[in-house]
Amino acid sequence: MSAIAVLTTFLFTVIKYNMALLYGTVGEIVTEKSGSLNLGVEGTMAIGGIGGLLVGCAFDNIFVGILASFICASLCGLLFAFLTVTLHANQNVTGLTITTFGLGLYFFIGNGFKASGKWPDMLSTEGFKRGTESLKIPLLNKIPVIGQALFSHSILIYLGIIISVLVWWYFKYTKPGLRIRAIGENPASADAVGVNITLYKYIHLMLGSGIMGIGGLLMAVNLSGSFEGSKCWINGYGWISIALVIFANWNTVAAIVGTLVFGLFNTLQVYGGSLSNAFPKLLGWLSKIPPQFMQALPFIITAIVLVVSSITNKKNNKPAAVGLNYYREDR
Amino acid sequence: MRNNTKEPLIRIVKREGLKKRYIALLYAASVVIALGVGAILLFSLEANPGEYYKQMFTFGTINNRFAYLQYENYIKEFVPLLITSLALSLAFKMKFWNIGGEGQFLLGALAGATVAFMVPASTNQFVTIILMTLAGAVVGGLIGLLTSVLNVKFGTDETLFTLMLNYIALYIMMFFGETKAKWNIFLKTDSERPQFAKIPETGRMFKIQIGDFSLEISLIFTLLLVAFIFIYLTRTKHGYEISVVGDSINTARYSGMKVNKIICRTMFLSAALIGAAGALRVSSVESLSTSITNDVGWTGIIVAWLAKLNPIGIVIVTALITILQCGCVTASVSANNVDSHFADLLQGIILFIILAADFFIRFKIVIRKRNKSEKNTSEKEETV
Repeated sequence: MSAIAVLTTFLFTVIKYNMALLYGTVGEIVTEKSGSLNLGVEGTMAIGGIGGLLVGCAFDNIFVGILASFICASLCGLLFAFLTVTLHANQNVTGLTITTFGLGLYFFIGNGFKASGKWPDMLSTEGFKRGTESLKIPLLNKIPVIGQALFSHSILIYLGIIISVLVWWYFKYTKPGLRIRAIGENPASADAVGVNITLYKYIHLMLGSGIMGIGGLLMAVNLSGSFEGSKCWINGYGWISIALVIFANWNTVAAIVGTLVFGLFNTLQVYGGSLSNAFPKLLGWLSKIPPQFMQALPFIITAIVLVVSSITNKKNNKPAAVGLNYYREDR
Repeated sequence: MRNNTKEPLIRIVKREGLKKRYIALLYAASVVIALGVGAILLFSLEANPGEYYKQMFTFGTINNRFAYLQYENYIKEFVPLLITSLALSLAFKMKFWNIGGEGQFLLGALAGATVAFMVPASTNQFVTIILMTLAGAVVGGLIGLLTSVLNVKFGTDETLFTLMLNYIALYIMMFFGETKAKWNIFLKTDSERPQFAKIPETGRMFKIQIGDFSLEISLIFTLLLVAFIFIYLTRTKHGYEISVVGDSINTARYSGMKVNKIICRTMFLSAALIGAAGALRVSSVESLSTSITNDVGWTGIIVAWLAKLNPIGIVIVTALITILQCGCVTASVSANNVDSHFADLLQGIILFIILAADFFIRFKIVIRKRNKSEKNTSEKEETV
């Protein structure tokens, strides 16, 4: 492969295999803006992924699949909302339980379908598969290197970018967006001016989880929808998403950049060798770095960001009431 | 004088002092409901729920000549989960969210293995195991101390920080497991592909033989630990301080307690115990692996919460959860369309229902009285 081809493939891979992080991150930002820390991203994505794939293949349509993944995952959000908002259960424990439960359900459903021979073969499901193929954006995809890398992806990739820009706009310029931010910062004041906190929280927790779910479907599609009994599709991406929320400073547009940065490290551990071969002078050092270090980098960076931002006491955009349940009669 | 705003039809108020008997009954009912939901799920896969649950609860000990192996395996799983859950409960009592159990366990295991590989082969088995445990405890404890110092000095979010450390620890473990080099003492020397080696004889768990059954001494250590933690929490000044900090950090400050010191000390202890559990686990399974934790860092949180952070409760819940986990592995051998992760699914359902049941323990629902005059609404309230 020529050096340019290696670079193109590399950039293409960074986007294709890491865009699921963006869904997870945007979903978690929506959740945290409403004042909740949902540690169940991993499980929510797993449920969204398997639900979306099974329904999408059954209807042989990618859009039905996207809708199904959104709905399945938002049911996890509904469960989280019911337990933490209505029943005042602890958010950390509820979130972690959603992860345990979600992964359990993922394996249960997957294994059940597989054992009975009903697991759909995504690659022979024509309509669904066509929906996952790359859409080349006219003209733009003719640009060398970046045309291939940026403008010939499947609809799921573009959708992620669109959602994150829309959510950014929603929080910044719309009335409900401002209200939900108020709830995340100070629920008592929002309550005092007459915002229906319970309703707002339910809607946004479900919306956030639903967005995560589409990311799960993207991970499933990237792996050609093949189910293995030993390893979940999501494979830790849900946890990286939680880290990315901090890295992106609770801003969904910054999350796009964050996704690319984290994706770069994720991809370097696989492609580092071929990149250093293609550009021996410039990137020769890449092959000397242990791949595990590359994989750990997103977490190391996030840990450092956490510590540094707390030491310098710089104001970050973390909603003030994240993690605290609101009980009107507590004063 | 009453104002014109009407009381809402249904509202919730806090309640205190529900009888222990009711709470126990509520929890038992929750477990039964969860098993019922599980049965429906099993039924949907055309597995026989009765047969499956029978297999699960006996985890293959009935009509099995080698039942003692099942018990040994049970204890191997029981010990690390119990220590981890107990340790986590110490931090949770202060409302300090140590969700870094996985990472502390992994690095404790790595430290323990390092000792096992480094000490001369002639070292006494007991001495080695004690040294390993101490090494694990020190490494785990230092991570805990780092987290708590950052938290009390700068307000670093401990939930997210410990979460990040989990993954950093995992990749450190992977690095040692996948890097073939001269300095890497953890790997097999005779294999081409990098592979974790068995730890030397002297570092392996000491066992007491009772007939065919061999009892790992870590079980005795663990049960002593339960007694120690119970006394520590209920009968010592430290334990009292922990509960005051957990109830109200400001109360603790006003009464002159050194809150920062208490948090750091307790977090050190919590993480040190988890690190020690990691070292004991290496000694017990005799080899490192990236999945050595068997998710105890996560399951421990569920256990601690289900047991309401009570040490005796934790022993009972750990015993039950371990049955669930060992049992689902055994039961899925005969029911091959049911995944062995069914245990996770059941755990999740049980915890969801108990989290919901907790609501009725902490709050009561008050329904507005249908009294038109609304003169003495506050006197009597219907409760559910």
